[in-house]
Amino acid sequence: MTALLRVDNLVKEYPIRAGVFRRQIGTVQAVSDVSFELGHQETLGVVGESGCGKTTLGRSLLRLIEPTSGTVMYEDQDVTAASKKEMRSLRRNMQMVFQDPYASLNPRLPIRDIVAEPMRIHGVSKKEAGERVGDLLRRVGLLPEHGNRYPHEFSGGQRQRIGIARSLALRPKVIVLDEPVSALDVSIQAQVLNLLDDIQHEFQLSFIFIAHDLAVVRHASDRIAVMYLGRVAELADRDALYEQPAHPYTHSLLSAVPIADPRRERARKRILLQGDVPSPANPPSGCRFHTRCPLAQDRCVAETPELRDVGSGHQVACHFPIAPGETLLDRVGAMGRTVEIAST
Amino acid sequence: MDQPTDRPTGVEHGIAGSGGEVRSFAYSDVLTSDEAVALEGLSEKPKSFGRLAWERFLRHRLALIGAIGLVLIALLFIVAPWFSDYAFDERNVRDRLLGPSWDHWFGTDEIGRDLFVRTAQGGRYSLRIGLTVAVLATVFGALMGAIAGYFGGWIDNVVSQLVNLILVVPALIVLSVWALKFGSSANQLSIVLAALLWTRIARVVRGVVFQIKEQEFVMAARAAGASHGRIIVRHVMPNFVGVIAVEITLLLGTAIVLESTLSFLGLGVKPPNASLGTLVADAKGSIDNDPIRVLTPGFFIVLIVLFVNFLGDGLRDALDPKSKAEH
Repeated sequence: MTALLRVDNLVKEYPIRAGVFRRQIGTVQAVSDVSFELGHQETLGVVGESGCGKTTLGRSLLRLIEPTSGTVMYEDQDVTAASKKEMRSLRRNMQMVFQDPYASLNPRLPIRDIVAEPMRIHGVSKKEAGERVGDLLRRVGLLPEHGNRYPHEFSGGQRQRIGIARSLALRPKVIVLDEPVSALDVSIQAQVLNLLDDIQHEFQLSFIFIAHDLAVVRHASDRIAVMYLGRVAELADRDALYEQPAHPYTHSLLSAVPIADPRRERARKRILLQGDVPSPANPPSGCRFHTRCPLAQDRCVAETPELRDVGSGHQVACHFPIAPGETLLDRVGAMGRTVEIAST
Repeated sequence: MDQPTDRPTGVEHGIAGSGGEVRSFAYSDVLTSDEAVALEGLSEKPKSFGRLAWERFLRHRLALIGAIGLVLIALLFIVAPWFSDYAFDERNVRDRLLGPSWDHWFGTDEIGRDLFVRTAQGGRYSLRIGLTVAVLATVFGALMGAIAGYFGGWIDNVVSQLVNLILVVPALIVLSVWALKFGSSANQLSIVLAALLWTRIARVVRGVVFQIKEQEFVMAARAAGASHGRIIVRHVMPNFVGVIAVEITLLLGTAIVLESTLSFLGLGVKPPNASLGTLVADAKGSIDNDPIRVLTPGFFIVLIVLFVNFLGDGLRDALDPKSKAEH
């Protein structure tokens, strides 16, 4: 399978400045050394806690934030090295849906102008853009007549549909969905997820689906990358990741997902990690998870684990990955350690 | 109306429009009941933003009073002197210090000049300075503020420090020195006043732009490939016109008051011309036995500033698309 989008060693650092002369006293590594591929019509889920660099990653892919180093290849074009002009034509193929349905639509413009804007920028005539806006609005479950209305007249779910219509306007191949449903009610979430599913098939789209809700990501993704403190901890096919997670961080994340079956839910043991996520301004040495990992050993402090394949494309960045069938609790027990469990 | 309980794929649904007639259409995706309710009234003709703003403005009672009041005052100052038998610098020593009468509406001054004509002339002068200053300072201040806020970094630093520098300069002293040294024609005064007063608008606009440019809709425009110019004109500027509308009116008031102060101190307009400020200054000696001569020009200063503030209030509400309040 040839990749549609290929990300290699992407890094985004923010300088920390202080003092009268704004001297740089350090850097925040929001995204460090992230690599992955995205295939045609594939959905790659990106999950992680708040502040782990998911949103920065998504925006860096479209160069809405200028990445510090690394490359993003769209087909055979280098996005990170593209000139202004090349970037403009690349934007036809790569679009984004934003997290906040209230902030992502300009309150001064009617919906028709909001959805038409990408087309107008790329030289579609006013008349043709107007016609396509009607089609797009209908496609996302609104009516062409809604085009005359202003954003504040719509609910959160409707606004997110408008944002989706706008992202579809240029007929892109890749859409970065930055937490597209996390601001919505659960009932509306399902509608928007179904809509995304439909348009993915209809327009043959590839998605990068950024979220923090593991259930949502499981529903929507083909493959999933788990991020911790700017790095990818584990990247695997959806079922492999949920059923046989290899990284201790993934284990603890999954243990926090409620189960709909009351009997199994009662048996669920939620693993509580010690401490907080360390500051990305001063990330831990070696494996970034070692400060909270119940399995941490000397090697984890000294040596940064690379993302490596543990079988059939299941990649994990851990020196001591957990084998299929084994659980984190088994391993902790075998090592003679304990881990805090929250009773559910 | 029926609540669509399950997915009504391709089903024809009738929804009553606002006019009571039934429109029907097919839709292929899920619509919740509240979304269907939101569809009502969609047969209304679309209204442009300008038209909506105009309608909101017309519903704003205070703003209407302000606008009509200002127009009436301007008309009074411009048109009424045509019908007067007197010129603003025409002396008539026999008619010194008369009170208001049918012949001299506002009375006369120490050398027998008709005060109504002089008030009209002074009012025109004050309004002209106020308007020029408001326009100059707003355009310059908004531009500087928008650039500083949008681009940030060293540009923002330079503009902000300049603003701070000007803000610590006492306006009245600069104006006095300027007027003494370089004269005080209306244009000169306007430019100096504008140079001192643009800072407030620049600060306000800078702050608002800082906020706007971090909004996701600006990011979305960039994702669509919009240029800086397009983003500033289409996404940033329309979101601060409301703020500017208020600031411009405050500025108009400030400029008129500052000019009046300057003229009152004898540094503004030179005789035989008048401004509202000089009229107050000329009459201040006789405030005890003849208060009406101080009060008429003073009354117009207050009235103009008041109306201008009403107008600004109305403009802010009218230009806010979320505003539905009726006043």
